[in-house]
Amino acid sequence: MTQLSFLPPFPFPASPLVLFGLLLLAGVVGGEIVRRTLGLPRIVGYVLIGLALGSSGLNVVDAGLVREAWIFVDIALGLILFELGRRLDFAWFRRDPWLAATGVLESALAFVCVFLALLYFEVKPLYAALAAAIGIATSPAVLVVVVQELKAEGQVTERALSLTAINSVIAFVSSTMLLSWLHHEYRASWATVVLHPVYLLAGSLALGYLAAMAAMALARWLGKTERGHLVVSIALIVVTVGAARTLELSVVLALLAFGALARNLDERHDLMPVDVGWFGQLFVVVLFVVSGASLKAGALVTGGALALVYVLARFAGKSLAVMGLTYFSGARGGTAGLLCLALTPMSATSVGMVHRTAQLYPDFGATLAAIVLSAVLIMELAGPVAVQFALRRAGEAARAA
Amino acid sequence: MSEAALEFKPSAGFSVGVELELQILNSRDYDLARDAADLIGLLEKAPPPGAVKPEITESMVELNSSIHGGHDTLVAELRTIRDAVTQAAQRLNVRIAGGGSHPFHMWTDRRIYPTERFNRLLSLYGYLAKQFTIFGQHVHIGCPDGDAAIYLTHILSRYVPHFIALSASSPFQQGEDTAYQSSRLNTVSAFPLSGQIPFVHSWKEFLEYFEKMRGYGIVESMKDFYWDIRPKPEYGTVEIRVFDTPLTVERAALLAAYAQSLARHVLTDRPLAPSRDVYVLYNHNRFQACRFGLEGTIVDAYAQRQASLKDDILETLAVVAPHATELGNGEALALLRAEVIAGRTDASWLRGVHREHGSLNDVARVQSDLWMGRTAIPA
Repeated sequence: MTQLSFLPPFPFPASPLVLFGLLLLAGVVGGEIVRRTLGLPRIVGYVLIGLALGSSGLNVVDAGLVREAWIFVDIALGLILFELGRRLDFAWFRRDPWLAATGVLESALAFVCVFLALLYFEVKPLYAALAAAIGIATSPAVLVVVVQELKAEGQVTERALSLTAINSVIAFVSSTMLLSWLHHEYRASWATVVLHPVYLLAGSLALGYLAAMAAMALARWLGKTERGHLVVSIALIVVTVGAARTLELSVVLALLAFGALARNLDERHDLMPVDVGWFGQLFVVVLFVVSGASLKAGALVTGGALALVYVLARFAGKSLAVMGLTYFSGARGGTAGLLCLALTPMSATSVGMVHRTAQLYPDFGATLAAIVLSAVLIMELAGPVAVQFALRRAGEAARAA
Repeated sequence: MSEAALEFKPSAGFSVGVELELQILNSRDYDLARDAADLIGLLEKAPPPGAVKPEITESMVELNSSIHGGHDTLVAELRTIRDAVTQAAQRLNVRIAGGGSHPFHMWTDRRIYPTERFNRLLSLYGYLAKQFTIFGQHVHIGCPDGDAAIYLTHILSRYVPHFIALSASSPFQQGEDTAYQSSRLNTVSAFPLSGQIPFVHSWKEFLEYFEKMRGYGIVESMKDFYWDIRPKPEYGTVEIRVFDTPLTVERAALLAAYAQSLARHVLTDRPLAPSRDVYVLYNHNRFQACRFGLEGTIVDAYAQRQASLKDDILETLAVVAPHATELGNGEALALLRAEVIAGRTDASWLRGVHREHGSLNDVARVQSDLWMGRTAIPA
């Protein structure tokens, strides 16, 4: 036995590197199969292969491995939200107030429609409100990745990205506040109820602000070298993601703030526009495979019918606002309809929140997780298809995904 | 239809009109955007004077002035159009820039504006169609008849290096400094029907040539000739096409005033006879102007000697001064003269911006700030 002590222990300990590589390969294969056989965006394939490997399927990627892979998921999200933030131009909202108004109204109506629909089906108001708040957000990941894959550019693309940034922030703020309310229902102290959302919001914004300031200062010191600025951006994205996790702040809000402030506060234009998308595409594959693996197809059985109601009410709410206000923005006819489709993807980042809430409040999990998770499952598959259709139909896609 | 199109429609002598091809940039990294259709659609809701038209790729838009008698009304109208276009662009969060080339766009990213004609050009010319995403100013000069237009075309050919050097604003292409002041014209030269008008002496002779080319199936209309200067019978004008689009509408109006004053001199004084030598030396002189701008050295076909391009322009400015005064262009040409003496061109300004800021993204940004009137060229 001692002669063989150089051999590794069996079973092998999980290696994050092997896991990353294998998830990447699985995603590439899944994405390619879906693209070849169905002509759908690769993302759909990543999610499907994740579902097949996850607890809903072969259970190769079980809950433990999903947790292991979470670091890659966070990096992917960080890169995507930074990119979304960089595309956010506060000056545009001043010049076209209708765009900002559309973002606020479509968020509000999505909330109201989902809330009322769930109430009608006798879901408890507080739970219905929390589910509705989650539904406000369009998935930044799906939208940004499809835009990058198609190299899409134009009014539908840019408006969808801006609206997504707005509704992501609104969704985060409102669900954070509702969670506090939920804490209160379950007799948490008032201090927690008030301080937790304040800590989350202010902390995440401050973190994003610090990162943006650091990026600009380093960029100024480096001078205009594209490679240097790319490395600085990626490094600070990773640091910010890690810091947000450690400080239990919001990765979404911190990175969105980092990107948006690095652009909008950079009056001397020190930081060059860098393309982190190329670097990000590796992590994006893993992001969607893991999202697929963490979804539970079984939830469809219990939550499927209500999830459909949820998805339709959400679509109705968003579309009502977009169809009503886009005309005033001076966009071409047809833009509004395609925008409605581009805003449909649902964010899988809400899955984590639902899970955590379900752990804290098992009652909530039993009644509502199934609905929200089923809706996410449906939209993870239908969303990319809708976005791809919208951007292609708008004539804004440069190439096939 | 083409029969009628080639009938030369006389127009008021020395009237002037301008077409400007402009760049549409995104507000993110200042690369070319693809919003031409949205921009044109938005401007149709409250049309500015003149006309706004699509060009071959979705990153371009063409502005047309109306017909003017001189510099002052022209520049006033161009400013009105610029303000309207700027406002519309800002609502769509895109930027508009002058300049003969975009400093760093990649032609492979370009998409053809979807019209029947542009798609036909793409299938005929292949990648050249996308590389044709370059931006020129066309100046139309009104002519009383076809013969005058042919004469004016031949004489203005001698002055083509002036137009190039004065307008040069395309030092960067595809992310590189080309070493040229105007790199744009190298792209035009790749087209088989670019070049110059044949050495014909009358409108009748020109028609014979045109019918021959059409008979061979080489061209369908005058639009198919990409000549540096071409008669435009349906407008009753001679169209000078070698100008890079300047960085500002003010500079565009100055250049138009120069061409107009020169044309008045040519058509009223008839100072020179058309000469084959102009065309023998044409490509050399054109290259000198593209490469070195005002610092170029041309060979004067009439005086049969070398001349500094800068001096040649200053001498010509002096010769046409009385005509400029007649047209109300006196002040404009005095301003242009000061610029020439100082050696200031759009190309040198762009290179200065690049030195100062260190990246071509910044060049494109400042270039669009300048066109949209958010910043001024420091004197």
